Amino acid sequence: MKEQIEAIQTEALAQITAAADERSLDDARVAVLGKKGSLTLVAVGIKDVPKEDKAAVGQLLNAARTAITAALEEKQLALREIADRAALAGIDVTLPARQLHTGSLHPLTLIRDEAIRILRRMGFALADGPEIEDEFHCFDALNTPTDHPARNEKDTFYFDSGKLLRTHTSSVQIRTMETQTPPIRIIAPGSAYRRDEIDATHLSVFNQLEGLYIGTDVSLPDLKGTLEYFLRELFGTQTEVRFRPHFFPFTEPSFEIDVKLTVKGQAPKWIEVAGCGMVDPAVFEAINTSRKDNAFDPEKITGFAFGMGLDRLAMIRWGIKDIRLLIENDARFLKQFA
Amino acid sequence: MNVSLNWLATHLDLSGKSIKEIDDLFTFAGIEVEGIVSKGIASDKIVVAQIMEVIQHPNADRLKVTQVDCGEARLRQIVCGARNYAVGDKVPCALPGAELPGGFIIGETIMRKVESKGMLCAASEIGLPAGEDGLLLLPRNSEIGKPVKQLFDSDTLLELEVTPNRPDLLSHRGMARELATLLKTPLLPLEIAIRETAAAKEIRIEAADACPLYTAIRISGVTVKESPAWLKQRLESIGLRPINNIVDVTNYVLHELGQPLHAFDAAKIAGNLIVRHANDGETFLALDESKHTLTPDDLLISDESGSPLALAGVMGGLTSGVSETTTDILLESAYFTPQGIRRTSRRTSLSSDSSYRFERGVDPAGVVSASCLAVQLILELAGGTAEATTQAAGEAPVVVKSVTLDAQKLDQLMGGSIALADAEEILTRLGLTKLADGTWNVPSFRADLQRHIDLVEEIARVHGLANVPSRLQGTFVPASAVDAAYDADMVLRRRLAALGLHECQTIKLISDAQVADTLPLRPMQDGDVIRVRLPLSEDHAVMRPSIVPGLVASAARNVRQQAKSLRFFEMGRVFRNAGGGKAKDQESETLALLLSGSAQPTGWSQAERTADLYDLKAILSALLGDRKITFAPKDRPGFTLASDIKVDDQTLGIFARLTPARERELDFSTPVFVAELDLGKLRKLLIGISHVEDLPQFPGSSRDAAMELPLATPNAQIEAIIAKLAEPLLVSAECFDVFTDPTGQKIAADSKSVAYRFHYREPTRTLKTEEIDTAHQKVLEALTKGLGVKFR
Repeated sequence: MKEQIEAIQTEALAQITAAADERSLDDARVAVLGKKGSLTLVAVGIKDVPKEDKAAVGQLLNAARTAITAALEEKQLALREIADRAALAGIDVTLPARQLHTGSLHPLTLIRDEAIRILRRMGFALADGPEIEDEFHCFDALNTPTDHPARNEKDTFYFDSGKLLRTHTSSVQIRTMETQTPPIRIIAPGSAYRRDEIDATHLSVFNQLEGLYIGTDVSLPDLKGTLEYFLRELFGTQTEVRFRPHFFPFTEPSFEIDVKLTVKGQAPKWIEVAGCGMVDPAVFEAINTSRKDNAFDPEKITGFAFGMGLDRLAMIRWGIKDIRLLIENDARFLKQFA
Repeated sequence: MNVSLNWLATHLDLSGKSIKEIDDLFTFAGIEVEGIVSKGIASDKIVVAQIMEVIQHPNADRLKVTQVDCGEARLRQIVCGARNYAVGDKVPCALPGAELPGGFIIGETIMRKVESKGMLCAASEIGLPAGEDGLLLLPRNSEIGKPVKQLFDSDTLLELEVTPNRPDLLSHRGMARELATLLKTPLLPLEIAIRETAAAKEIRIEAADACPLYTAIRISGVTVKESPAWLKQRLESIGLRPINNIVDVTNYVLHELGQPLHAFDAAKIAGNLIVRHANDGETFLALDESKHTLTPDDLLISDESGSPLALAGVMGGLTSGVSETTTDILLESAYFTPQGIRRTSRRTSLSSDSSYRFERGVDPAGVVSASCLAVQLILELAGGTAEATTQAAGEAPVVVKSVTLDAQKLDQLMGGSIALADAEEILTRLGLTKLADGTWNVPSFRADLQRHIDLVEEIARVHGLANVPSRLQGTFVPASAVDAAYDADMVLRRRLAALGLHECQTIKLISDAQVADTLPLRPMQDGDVIRVRLPLSEDHAVMRPSIVPGLVASAARNVRQQAKSLRFFEMGRVFRNAGGGKAKDQESETLALLLSGSAQPTGWSQAERTADLYDLKAILSALLGDRKITFAPKDRPGFTLASDIKVDDQTLGIFARLTPARERELDFSTPVFVAELDLGKLRKLLIGISHVEDLPQFPGSSRDAAMELPLATPNAQIEAIIAKLAEPLLVSAECFDVFTDPTGQKIAADSKSVAYRFHYREPTRTLKTEEIDTAHQKVLEALTKGLGVKFR
């Protein structure tokens, strides 16, 4: 019996060694250790072994089983390793990616959102108003004389109804003051319209961002601090900002704001980015008349307003040379913002 | 407005001021400098140099090495490429630090291993008209070391933008007055001999409302001829063309003092001058030969014969002006009210340097002195004799009043950054005087200063915002409904970008033809389109009632650029009337989507597939997360496959494909799918969940069923029957296969097999097999009954 066990072990180990895959390895295991396997059958025959030999044969049997099991495990690990290696062999990590569509936000959305995020950190809330406006909200209440050039039919789009397309988002100032009382701290992004022929620097429909802060002690230092902070957040903390006196009918004093920027390959230069000023008391008077109260008493209430062209900011930010790129929606342009 | 620096310098001392300093002064006074054009040589560092020695450059055939005398202790070595000079010649030498036109600054350099300490210049290199090739040879007697600019005429033209509230700046005197204020330097006195005025003999004002003051003076025996060089040069320096001595004097005085004048040929005036409103329909032939039909709102200078001599304040008539044969003139100087001139100028589309000033408001106190200066110059340049007194009709209007400066309000607005005494000093410098009652008297040329705030503006302007502190604080305000809408829109935008769509911005004015591509929630009726009265072009004539037309046009443009995959969206306002124009100009906001071309990018592992309507549905589903979206087919003119998009029985928008004919017309080679959704409704669906649902504690089980039904039966019917049954154990049902065979071999060609997977679960316990079978059977029976389907 001893010889028989040794023969089984030798043959099983040979079969295991010869196994080329997990399947033939499993065949080898079943042939020896399965229900009808050769070693299993020998183990069944142990009951016929003389009592004094049982221990020795049992030991031999256990040793054979241990050796075969170990060989099986070792061979299985080896075979899996080979199979795993084969499975990975054909994979070329340097092949290009499987592609997904990548979308993008419009540059105007990006710059507007950036501006809004900065101004919201400063506690401004959003406001809006209609784009088809009346003369009161677009001009009269904003202290613009009836014969002001901007009210000309050559410069402004009118409708047969007498209404017009707002020429600036400043009309939202009026809309807001009609329905809210001080303190007011709003920003209003939106479209504005002027009868300009479309060319590399003009669109007849363009985008602005308006701001208004009204309270009991709003002053030039507030205007200056707010806009300096905003522009430095937008263009970089070291950006130089200057305020040039200017004229707008609805603010007094009024300023235009320049930032010193470096266009690639050029010396730094002052670039106009916004207009601003302290709300003209005449605007408050017009609001009070419209509201039929004195909520905006020009003796007590002051405020500042500012406005900027978002298309222009986008052009400055990304070096866009032709404003028409912003409305042509050429996928080759849009994809650059993905 | 064009200003000559040399001309300006006749009014105040500008010596030692660089162009840069003057530029900054104007800029911070609120006068925008739009251009600076230098004539002649600007830099002091370009000097007369004598060439003392010339040798061949050791390392360059085309270069010479010169030693030049610039009047310094030692000769200067300069490498030069020109050949037109000899030793002993005098030429311009730009020393290191000299700035040449175009901003190039000369330095010391090494050229091919030889030092060069400056540059010998050609005429064109230093801003002079280009002459012969090579260096500019200066006169032999030029003084060595002297700045070359002193040998040539030079001037700087400033192109300034004057804001409409500052007509007082529209002259050299006005600009000089402003600079003198800012520089705190005195203004040089004007040398004008003021003539006496007397009541007018030859003038009658019949329109005092539009012309409060009219003066004229007769000068007899003048000789009309070419102006002297100095006068021509003055006018040319600001871009004006000299005409003759009389006209040039009037133009000169306008730009010197800001008061427009007009000279009539006295021989062409019949009797008295009459200032009157035009008759309705009266015609006027202007000196630019344009013909105008006037209204009674227009103001004319006329005579006893009734013929119009000039359109007051705007332009003279073709026949009444000064010509070479003129011997006697009548010189007009007047004050016309700004509003009237503005209206006439706009109505006739005529504008002139005169109307530009009158419509902004001239200084009423300057009317007579301007006339006197002109008389003085005409007598000097054209001879003749003037009347002893200037004839004046009417009176100079009072355009200013005294204004109170509220010290407390000033302090508040300026943030305490300026002491009252300093503020008052600024007002005084600007020509205001403090009266005994504490109010401020405003000079007649500053009619823009009417209120406290106008004085504050002047103080802030002169003080400069640079001298005002910055305050970083602000009040807290609650977020608005617009904030919420904006946040929702940004979520939608980011989701759509993540789904591979590009955001577009199209123009909100579209053409009539494009209206056919609109896909508004409520179909358009006649009268719903809003049209602008004077469109710039037919391409931009109506307000878009829908964003789809813009996206279709953008996509078509991309197709022409060979774009393979078109995946676009845009959010924004749309405009329309409603009910055939009954409800006027309603504005709302929508989201539009467009999909066409490749469904996915192709590559080594991805086959080409053209996007179909299910791809657009996929985007809509992903956009709305877990919401159940249904599509209800509904015909839309101009589109195919149109459906309403519904969530919870609410119609959110429309989904459709362009008609194949329209696709071909626009050169699309793949189907174009579009959708437009109401943003107001969409935003509300984005409000997140209010509480989480417990996760299922017990397993569920699923059953598959394939049913055969007519090809035309929409899936929506299956869904409707399942929904109506409302089997409590059924938690979901999903279509996982649709099989058709157009050949009719595996299934009849007019039939389809649709396979569904039904999930059953009870939240409180594990279901028994029989319970699931019973529930499933109910579902199958309902479908059999409702659709007559066969289960395979």
